[in-house]
This record gives sequence, C-alpha cells and structure tokens, in this order.
Amino acid sequence: MAEQIIHTGEHINLVISDGEALDTVFVQEPDSTLRIHLFRIARDGQALNLRNTLHVRQTGTGCRTEIYALFLLRGNDKAALHTRMCHEKGQGTSAQTVKFILADHAQGEFFGEMTIAQDAQKVEAEQTNRNLLLSDTALMRTRPQLEIYADDVKASHGASTGQLDESSLFYMQQRCISREEGRKLLLRAFTADVVDTVEDDNKRQELMDAIDRVI
Amino acid sequence: MHPQNTTEPYHAALFAMNTLLEIKNLHASIGGKEILKGVNLTIHAGEVHAIMGPNGAGKSTLSAVLTGHPAYTVTEGEVWLKGKNLLEMPAEQRAREGVFLSFQYPVEIPGVSMVNFMRTAVNEKRAYEGKSALSATEFLRLMREKKALVEMADKLNNRSVNEGFSGGEKKKNEIFQMAMLEPCLSILDETDSGLDIDALRIVSNGVNKLKTKDNASIVITHYQRLLDYIVPDFVHVLADGQIVKTGSKELALELEEKGYEWLNK
Repeated sequence: MAEQIIHTGEHINLVISDGEALDTVFVQEPDSTLRIHLFRIARDGQALNLRNTLHVRQTGTGCRTEIYALFLLRGNDKAALHTRMCHEKGQGTSAQTVKFILADHAQGEFFGEMTIAQDAQKVEAEQTNRNLLLSDTALMRTRPQLEIYADDVKASHGASTGQLDESSLFYMQQRCISREEGRKLLLRAFTADVVDTVEDDNKRQELMDAIDRVI
Repeated sequence: MHPQNTTEPYHAALFAMNTLLEIKNLHASIGGKEILKGVNLTIHAGEVHAIMGPNGAGKSTLSAVLTGHPAYTVTEGEVWLKGKNLLEMPAEQRAREGVFLSFQYPVEIPGVSMVNFMRTAVNEKRAYEGKSALSATEFLRLMREKKALVEMADKLNNRSVNEGFSGGEKKKNEIFQMAMLEPCLSILDETDSGLDIDALRIVSNGVNKLKTKDNASIVITHYQRLLDYIVPDFVHVLADGQIVKTGSKELALELEEKGYEWLNK
C-alpha cells in the first residue's frame, strides 16, 4: 500500500482518471486539505476490473478532505471503491460524493467506512452514495459503515440506488425530446455534480467527452 | 393555404372548417380498468374547447391518452391529428407534430438546466421539420422574447427544470415552453390548480396571446374560474368516461351553480 503525506497547511488536488487500481493511504497533517477526484469510465474493447482503496487519515486538527468519485460501467465491467475515512483529530471536515452508473452486466461496489475517534471533537463528516442501474442485470452493492466515538460531531450518510426517472423521460417526450436523447440529458445531469468539481478546464472537458462517448 | 394569403372567401371558409383533431369512439383503460368509454370530439383550428367534469370522470386520462402516456391502453377507437393517425406515434412524435401538454404537475428535473432542456426541445422539433438547429444567439433571443410573454424571470435560465420553482413559476414555465414550441394543439391540464389570482391572470394572458386562427386548445378544468380568463368556444362535460353534454361557455356557469349531479338525472 502506497503512502502519501500531505504536510501541514498543504493543499493537494488529485484527479485520477486512468491507470491501475488504487491502493493508497493519505496521511493528513494539521490544517491540510486533500481533494481527490476519481473517475472510472468504461472503455471500448477492454473490460474494467478494478478495486480501489482510499484510506485517509486526518492525523492533525483542522483538516479538510473531499472525495468525489464517478464510476460509469457497462458490459462486464466490475469496479469497487473502498473509502476509509479516519478522523483521528478534531475540528476536521470530510465530504464524500460517490456515484455509480451501471449498464448491461456491470457490477459496482461501494464500501464507505468512516471512523471518528474519541478525541476528534467538532468533526463534520458526510458521505453520499447515489447509483443508477440502467439494466435489470446490473448489480450494485453498497455498504456505509460509520463508527463514531466522539460525542460532539456531525456525521451523516445517505445511499440510494435507482433507475432513470420515468416521469422525467415522459415530460421530455412531451417537449419533443426522444427517450434516447432524454436519457443522455439525465445521465449527463447525474454525472455533472462530480465532473464539475474538477477545476482544470481541459481535464474537465476531457472527462465530459469520455462520458459522452459511453452514454 | 393560409387564409391570409388569399382574398377568396371560399378558401377562408374552407379553412375555418379545417379539422385539427378528431377523436372517434375512444376507449382506454389502465390496469384493466376502463376509464374512457367512447369519447367523440372534433376540434377545428381556431377553437378553444373546455372539458369539465367531476373527479374520476376521465379528464386527465383523456389528456394522457392523447399525449401517449405508456400506462394507458387504447382498447378501441381512433384519433386523427391533421389527418395523421395520432395513436400510432410515439409520445415525442406527437409533440413534434404539434400536440402540447401543459402538465397539472410539471416534473422537476434536477441537473438539467432550463436553457439546455429548451434548446434540445426546440432543436429536436426543428430537426423533425427538416430545419437546421438554431444558433446560440438565435436561441437566446427566442428565449428572451417568449419569456416576456409570461413575465418569467431571467434567472430561471440557469436553474434546473422546475426545480425549486413555486407553483406559479411552474405553470408560467409550462406556458413559456408552449410559446417556444408553437404547438397546433395545446392541452392545458388543470392549469389553474394551485395558482393565485395574479399567476392565473399572467398564465391566462400568455395562453390568450398565443391563440391564432391556426391553432386550438383543450382546457381541462374542474372549476369555472379559469374560463373567465380563457374563454371557450365549447364546453364539454365528461362523466364516467363519456362526453355527456356539450354547450357554449354558459354551460360552465350553469355547472358552477348546479354542480354535476343534475346531468345524471
């Protein structure tokens, strides 16, 4: 397992969109900020099979962690994300937004572990996992797991898995938009709040193009 | 031929007779339960038809069937739009042919901006008509022009479709979309529900301004109030899946006074 240290007061912004499975521990020192943008987008002629583990330790006070992840899988793609968010010290914040879109026989898995240690007071931590299944044969497993030992914290999590909204598709049909085109609009909208967090304009455009090729 | 393009009264008279929509003996059901039990209705260009009736009479079913809602099955009958078989068309094709449904409960679409949504809609219709897509400038000019019609705020452009809109804003947005798409047949499904008097006035004004001698509207409503603003040429009473009475706008007042019960006697 690789280890990366984010030094006191440092601000690190990572965009990971290709390459091998991730297995990294990020160690945050006081008042550091870590933003991770993780994209796993299906490619032609090559099924994905990736397990990704992101272990973040806030070892100092006043740290900020943001994790944005988007998985767009189809065919026989399989991908898993395991986040392990450890608030070891107080006054820190963390926010995780994890989204999967699964078509065909794709399988996705999200395991969101979060621990807030006993002396990590005044922590604010949230985790959101939203998934879209585009076929009857796609499969999503999701498991949020929160362990909170401190008493003065705000922690929340939410997970939902569903299909494209039929009433939205019908509404769009009434406005001349075919189901196919409507589906694309809804999928782009679903990915937007993750893609929009990428600050680099070129990189964001590249990701939007890659998503458009798949949907 | 448009009547304004000719001075011959014969042509004008012929156009006035022009049938836009013809519903013949329409039967429809949902989940095996028959809701429409033989509806007959003919609508000509330039007309406004009000459809009134008690709850559960089939008013919303009629609009759902005309616009191609997948939950309903047509078991018998025909519907012709300008001589084309409407029931054979997928929902979006009906819209592209000029049928417009103003929803009783407009749908919120988070993440899809009004601009993006409307540009897709307008250009899908234009492509169907063999026209080229509007440029960004042309499109924004059109948006501005049509929004003025319903006094809609500019800030709504970048908001998601209907998301966080008030009841009045949602209904104004429906009429705005109607103005953008210029339908030949508009179906206004309970457009007055949830509107305060100011919003009702603005929405009705918008509808009235969009009226031409080439298009027609079906106004579905529970109450006579809306018909003070959008004055119908005909009022139909739908009860138990059939049109049981047709009259002029005075019929609406009579219904307001006496309710629907007396029609069954």
